[in-house]
Amino acid sequence: MSSILVIAEHRRGELRPVSLELVAAANELRAAGEQVVVGLIGKNAHAFVAAVSKEGVDEIATVTAPVEDFDPDVSEEAVRALIAQYSPSLVLIPHSVDSYGYVAVLAAKDQLGLATDVYKIAREEGGWVATRGGYGQKVAVELDFPGRSCVCLAVRSGSYKPNEAAASPTVTAVDVPALQARSTPLDYIEVSAGGDVDITTVPFIMSVGRGLGDEANLPRFKELAEQVGATLCCSRPIADSGWLPKSRQVGQSGKTASACKLYIAMGISGAIQHLAGMKHVETIIAVNTDPQASIFNVAKYGIVGDIFEVADALEQEFS
Amino acid sequence: MKILIAIKQAIALDEDFEIRADGRDIEEDFFLPDLNEWDEYSLEEAMLIKERHADTPVEVVCVTIAPDSADEALRKCLAKGADRAIRVWDESMEGSDPVAIARALAAVAKKEAPDLFFAGVQSSDHAHGATGIAVAGFLGWAHSAVVARLDYTPGAKEVALKRELEGGLSQELRLPCPAVLTIQLGINKPRYASLRGMKLAAAKPIETLAPGDIGLATNDCGESGSLARVRRMYVPEKQRAQILAGDVAAQAKALAAIIREATGS
Amino acid sequence: MSLDGGMMDPHAFTRILFQDFPSWEVSFFYLVGFAAIGSFIYGVYREVRKYLRGVPDARVIWDYAHIKQGIVAIATHRTLVRRDPYAGMAHRAIFYGFGVLFMGTSIITLEYDITSKLFGIHYWYGDFYLWFKLAMNIAGVSLVGGLIYMMVRRGWIKPPKLDYARPDRAPDAPDYDRSNYRIEDWLFLWILVIIGVSGFVLSGARMIWLADRPEVWDIRWWSPVGAFFAYGLRALGLDAEGAVILRQLIWWSHGALALTLISLIPYTKAKHIFTAIISLVVRDPLPAQRLPKVPEGQEQIGYRFLTDMSWKQLLHLDACTKCGRCHEACPARTTGGPLSPRDVILSLRELANSALQYSAVPEQSKLAMHGTGVGQVSSETLWACRTCMACVEICPVAVEHVPIIVQMRRALVEEGDMDPLLQKTLQTIHKSGNSFGESRRKRGGWAKGLPFPVKDARKEPVDVLWFVGDYASFDPRNQKVSQAFARLMHAAGIDFGILYDGESNAGNDIRRVGEEGLYEHLAESNISAMQSADFNRVVTTDPHSFNTIKNEYPDFGGQFEIEHYTSFVMKLIEEGRLTVKKQLGHRVTFHDPCHLGRFNKGYDAPRKLLEAIGCELVEMKRCKDNSFCCGAGGGRIWVPDPVGTEKPAQNRMREAASIEGLEVYVVSCPKDLTMFEDALKTTGYEGKFVVRELLEMLEEALEINLVEAEVTA
Repeated sequence: MSSILVIAEHRRGELRPVSLELVAAANELRAAGEQVVVGLIGKNAHAFVAAVSKEGVDEIATVTAPVEDFDPDVSEEAVRALIAQYSPSLVLIPHSVDSYGYVAVLAAKDQLGLATDVYKIAREEGGWVATRGGYGQKVAVELDFPGRSCVCLAVRSGSYKPNEAAASPTVTAVDVPALQARSTPLDYIEVSAGGDVDITTVPFIMSVGRGLGDEANLPRFKELAEQVGATLCCSRPIADSGWLPKSRQVGQSGKTASACKLYIAMGISGAIQHLAGMKHVETIIAVNTDPQASIFNVAKYGIVGDIFEVADALEQEFS
Repeated sequence: MKILIAIKQAIALDEDFEIRADGRDIEEDFFLPDLNEWDEYSLEEAMLIKERHADTPVEVVCVTIAPDSADEALRKCLAKGADRAIRVWDESMEGSDPVAIARALAAVAKKEAPDLFFAGVQSSDHAHGATGIAVAGFLGWAHSAVVARLDYTPGAKEVALKRELEGGLSQELRLPCPAVLTIQLGINKPRYASLRGMKLAAAKPIETLAPGDIGLATNDCGESGSLARVRRMYVPEKQRAQILAGDVAAQAKALAAIIREATGS
Repeated sequence: MSLDGGMMDPHAFTRILFQDFPSWEVSFFYLVGFAAIGSFIYGVYREVRKYLRGVPDARVIWDYAHIKQGIVAIATHRTLVRRDPYAGMAHRAIFYGFGVLFMGTSIITLEYDITSKLFGIHYWYGDFYLWFKLAMNIAGVSLVGGLIYMMVRRGWIKPPKLDYARPDRAPDAPDYDRSNYRIEDWLFLWILVIIGVSGFVLSGARMIWLADRPEVWDIRWWSPVGAFFAYGLRALGLDAEGAVILRQLIWWSHGALALTLISLIPYTKAKHIFTAIISLVVRDPLPAQRLPKVPEGQEQIGYRFLTDMSWKQLLHLDACTKCGRCHEACPARTTGGPLSPRDVILSLRELANSALQYSAVPEQSKLAMHGTGVGQVSSETLWACRTCMACVEICPVAVEHVPIIVQMRRALVEEGDMDPLLQKTLQTIHKSGNSFGESRRKRGGWAKGLPFPVKDARKEPVDVLWFVGDYASFDPRNQKVSQAFARLMHAAGIDFGILYDGESNAGNDIRRVGEEGLYEHLAESNISAMQSADFNRVVTTDPHSFNTIKNEYPDFGGQFEIEHYTSFVMKLIEEGRLTVKKQLGHRVTFHDPCHLGRFNKGYDAPRKLLEAIGCELVEMKRCKDNSFCCGAGGGRIWVPDPVGTEKPAQNRMREAASIEGLEVYVVSCPKDLTMFEDALKTTGYEGKFVVRELLEMLEEALEINLVEAEVTA
């Protein structure tokens, strides 16, 4: 019986929400009679069974790992075992820092079809077709996988709406004896709020990016943000330069602007990693000199222009 | 000791680019090539190891799987201080996906036998984030992706590192060597390669190899050695922002109105 | 008065040297004299050895024209009277006074020790002696008068430029105010004054002593100041006996001081007597306009160690007299930047004196020019420079600061020691050929907005090739100016074209940043693009491009006849190909762009144009060669100025605003338009006057009515 395998991801005892998006994707893509199997890998994999028991899941396969934390070798071996067990034509894995660490290894060793950062999946006569961005997200790239009976796709979070309806799928424990971690995890480090604001809770964010140019320009925007009542945040390059603390970085490796209702992006071109932290915001206003900047694809309103000029004019509006 | 670094001449697209006639790529005329941004960081990290441990000779070798148009990227690396540069290519490699590239990189690694293998987390053009890690698959080495800090003493059996996770979280861990690491932006501040340095680097040789020289068969390369095939490229329909019209003053006025409405002030 | 030669033997009219000296005293004097000369010679040797530790300077040309211009500059003191006429005149008085007195002493020595002893020839008597005395007196007055003014200036007038406190050091740094220099300054002045005055006292004392001899007393008025002193001393009660003692005392102090001075010349600021003269003779006519090319095959570029400098530059360091003209003119210093050109020179001088004056050259670490130690120049200081050439232009002794600064920056660039934004810009320019990071294809985009096609000079021959430049091509405000110039040329019937995406950034500012490799790349690419086009001459609206194409491209094999639009349009008007139809009647001031004015002496054409279109030109105090940089030069347009400090352009706006009833601040450079339109807004003078590009005013006055079209680029 053919199947689609979904690998759920969890960290520090919590299921990562993208897992349920993939369940929904699998459910949408399944052919009649095709099973959707969710793979859970962890020292205490059973703990997540309830969280993934959603409508459309036929079976939950748990693999007990020797280590608590993610280890690429363990995940690789476990997924390999699950594929052997269920022979899926499609394996859906979250496109995440964890999957960065093993999916390509697995696919390379086992010669499985592979595409990462996929946001659209289709099933055609010739097999699976995955769509991802190319050339800095300026184009869409359609990939197919001729001759591959099993295709692994790492799927971008936010591409599918999660299915929340609960169900009671079968739970099977899959025994994988050879699991062995090579990495020695030491500790997690959280970018703490550290006396600074917690940007996941603020409703109005003004964010600055590469367009800021120089640290010397930062005070202007600090003042402006204060004036309009926004919390000043930034994209990765600004935090990497140390101009603003990491805790103010919006994006995949930074924080998600979860509670934000209004987001003004100043001089941010809109790298996919940044968008991951803010594209859900209801009202996004983008100011950028490049009319082609991808930030305008997620923004509701846009100003094509110089952020400094706009900042000056805005300051006058609020003074 | 030796560090092998995979580098890539990444492509940005010029404005008003056109899709190639076969619909599977962009017209080369619109390519604006440059050394992949992530690779600047991985090279810098290797250079820092080399410079911080002046007592142990550290050889930094850059490798790319690309036609000679990538020589400029290699020269940039040489200008920044890399000791050697290797380029592998022949026509059979056209159409390679990240895994086919990784197979060739791994073959070079087998030949060079480095202690560490670095790659950027991803490339600024296609952002697969797969090539570097797939090399570990072919080599069977320990590996870690998205490395944001690295502690390594040449000759050590282990490397300590920080893996940058999502949402402001990171994880510290240790890995046995040799290891494959993909390096994240921000791990260091890459140095500048002056044009003069690049010109001088032009005098340094780039070792050019064909797939056969590193033990690859024709069906290891190009589409036949790949796990995916580009079927089509197109410009997606995008939902575009409503662009505020007028001069700066008018735009600011409109912006202020939006802010006031949203914040209820 | 004249000599009554009939009555007495003219040989009686002379001065007897060492009169009544016991022989041991004479011998002692000779001993001291030889010691002084020995000290002088050793000092000179030591200095020359120091200079020769620099590398050869291929740009020094020892020909008649160069030597002549140096001598003329010294003789006229032309460079010293500029912007400080009184100090210049006082120096001239000291220079000529000292020079004549020195020659006088030499004439006496020549007769006494050489011609009389070897050949029995005497000439220092009679009429010659009398005129000689008079000349010496005048020279003495000139010397002392000049020195007294200098003392008053240092002691009471205290011009700010003579304050040696450094903008690049914290007040607690050991070398913050260079107070030791102050001691030297005063010592030098006092020694010279005492030598001068004691000479007169000596003369007076001798007159009293020998008052009974007519061959002395009767001719006293040939030495009027001496006679004046004689009367004075006599009134104070000095008699012949006392005069003998006084004369003996003063004679020795005068002589000892004079010999001390001679012996100290190579060790003190007095050495400028020689270094300044040589510096002026070997001056480079295009010091900042044409920066040095890296010799073929040289791997390391830029200056890291003192011994990377040329002998001429090491000598320049010693020519500086700390006059402060560069300090005063420097836009970075004026606006609070950590740079005074004088301090760069003095620091390097101190380093050279501590490292290169000994018999062996020390290890490289002691020769390192970059750093924050005493005698070193910090990277902040080097990056503060706008290469506007104000310092080089005004230096009275032809010190060439800009090439030294740029050479030192070249080393910084190699090491990547620069503002991250500048680094980014350089990478952008390398990648896209322009500093805007725009696509090459869009370079000619502004031309699409014109109602007529602009020829592609790569595809068809043209008379005039227009080198557009980055700002004029990509900056939206400047694109409008470019369109205006295109319409103007079209109206004048000029057959012109542009290189479209064959053109790259001209490289002028990249070269001044110190990214020589990128400059070479850009220059070579532009030269080859230009050489493959068919044209007769080049025109540009951009003074920066103008400068490098005119002065620097020839070093890379690109010889082009190029004009800035100001002189180009002026000729069109003079030839009647364009007619002024409307007198604008504005009250305007004109900002000389560094690269058009100071760099290439294009002061007149823009002024003539303003006159032709009926504008009333009111000059700012800092105009023409003293024009104040907008702050954009040397790549600084790509580096933001520190927050909270006044920008050079803002400083300039305040200067312009002080002109009563000013309507238009006229610029003729794309970067100026950008910088000053910004500065006008930030200084709050918006609405009081406007910043306009001369080209736009020309278009209005010439009434060129072509259909306006929006830039579609």
